[in-house]
Amino acid sequence: MLRILLPAIPLVLAVFGPLLPLNAAPEADPLLGPENGHPLGTDALGRDVLALVFSGGTSVAGMTLAALLLAYLLGVPLGLFAASRRRRGTDEAVLRVLDILLAFPGLLVLMVLAAAGHREPATLIVAAAVLQLPAVTRIVRAAALAPGCRTAVEAMYLQGMPWWRIQFGYVARSALGPVATDAGTRLGIVLYLLASANFLGLGLPGSAPDWAVVIERNATALFSQPLAVLVPAALLAMLCVGANLTVDRYLARLR
Amino acid sequence: MRFLLTRFAVAVGQLAVVLLAAFGLTALLPGDAAAVIGGERASAEELAVLRDQLGLDRPLPQRFGDWLGALFSGDLGRSLVTGVPVSTELAQRFASTAILTGLAMAVLFPLAAAVGVTSGLREGSRTDRLLSAVTVGLHAIPEFVLGLLVVAAFSVYTGLFPATTVGADGIGLLAQPAVLVLPVTVLLGAQLGDLARQVRIGVAAHSGSPSARHLRLLGLDERTVLLRHVLPNALAPLIQQSARTIEGLFSGALVVETLFSVRGLGTGFIEAVQNRDFPAVQGYVLVFAILIITVNLLGDLLAHRFTPQRERAAC
Repeated sequence: MLRILLPAIPLVLAVFGPLLPLNAAPEADPLLGPENGHPLGTDALGRDVLALVFSGGTSVAGMTLAALLLAYLLGVPLGLFAASRRRRGTDEAVLRVLDILLAFPGLLVLMVLAAAGHREPATLIVAAAVLQLPAVTRIVRAAALAPGCRTAVEAMYLQGMPWWRIQFGYVARSALGPVATDAGTRLGIVLYLLASANFLGLGLPGSAPDWAVVIERNATALFSQPLAVLVPAALLAMLCVGANLTVDRYLARLR
Repeated sequence: MRFLLTRFAVAVGQLAVVLLAAFGLTALLPGDAAAVIGGERASAEELAVLRDQLGLDRPLPQRFGDWLGALFSGDLGRSLVTGVPVSTELAQRFASTAILTGLAMAVLFPLAAAVGVTSGLREGSRTDRLLSAVTVGLHAIPEFVLGLLVVAAFSVYTGLFPATTVGADGIGLLAQPAVLVLPVTVLLGAQLGDLARQVRIGVAAHSGSPSARHLRLLGLDERTVLLRHVLPNALAPLIQQSARTIEGLFSGALVVETLFSVRGLGTGFIEAVQNRDFPAVQGYVLVFAILIITVNLLGDLLAHRFTPQRERAAC
């Protein structure tokens, strides 16, 4: 029950929250306590905390999903390509180039992008996706090596079936299991990266109604208006822990 | 030998990417770097001086060469905000970060070993499941969220530990151990899970292995089997994970230092990014990247040394 509720509450807020007619504009006095017509008080910018709770999950959830989709959109063809080359040199070259990327922690790359003036959500999503590329490609390649060697593939090749039909129609389908498993763990990694980037001010602007940004704006007011920090922090924690525990349980069942 | 060579080549490639990226930061800015650095209020003369200082009128390859030359003689330029040489600022801020991450490591490795052995020997038990749920949970929560929850619990509501390290700096941090408790705890929380899980898997696999059973049949007591035979076998895969962990601690330091107002490399880096202080950003990028490249290289080389036979998947 707990395992379902943990990720479900923040997810429901992220998906349906923005549909509610709540006003997250800075209109009231800053840092009011609860019971001033604001059930959770207001934040440092004078925004209703309850409204922020309902509207702040969409950005982080949406960006995470977009980055994951993009990572697999790029990584799956690249992994299949590396695995299907008969010459090991091409395969090796793809892996080594990606190894170079693997060296850099996500936050470091996002810091450099922010310093160069790139803080748009689109840049953040592309960067987060590219950072996952080495791992995704490796996993797809490893999963596609064995099915790519089967006689069925040899037969299709001899019949003159085009490369992409063999790869996407047959090999990719057999490699789906490990890739799905990887996507589960990667969800946590991307979520963590994007939330941390928003907290450090490397992504969304300081006025954005995003849980991580709200936490950053109000962190100094932890003593006077703790609700403005603790409620979004609790929701982010539930989302991250819930996603990880759900994936963990799913993986344990697979084994 | 072939592995060593390719691995070194990758490290050199990584270093080249870092150098190019750090240089490209100023060279490839949209528009003119002098205009960005000088700001909107800079006059034409000020911009001309800046351009001259930055050497923007010279061709790109020559600028890269000059920059590299200065770099190897230890000259990282001066901060645009404070005017202090970047190398001096890096040296001043190094101590705080080293104390934070060093202390976290000193606690982390024994703690992860203890947690991993405890749950590995009781695989599938209630203790095992509880420990793994806690470590997975701690690992999943981003440091800034965990940090604020910890500050709320131990500082705002109970007043047990201070919420910031303001007033203590560098070596001074060690004089006031209380200020270090919460930052180090947060750093640990994020990294404990992965490391403990590796120990747990290794211990569980090796303590049930035929060789361990044979040793028990020979009459060796459980302690000797565990410490002399199971743990050493379980630790080899841990080396690469340790490299990841150290990398994670550096990333974590960015967040934890911001949260607890530590004057370290992490906060310096973030300030430099927010102020668009390019020479300082270059310095921090180089320091962090070189640390991480070195740690990963060492991790891979040591892991290769302790697990020489690798399987190769091929048709």
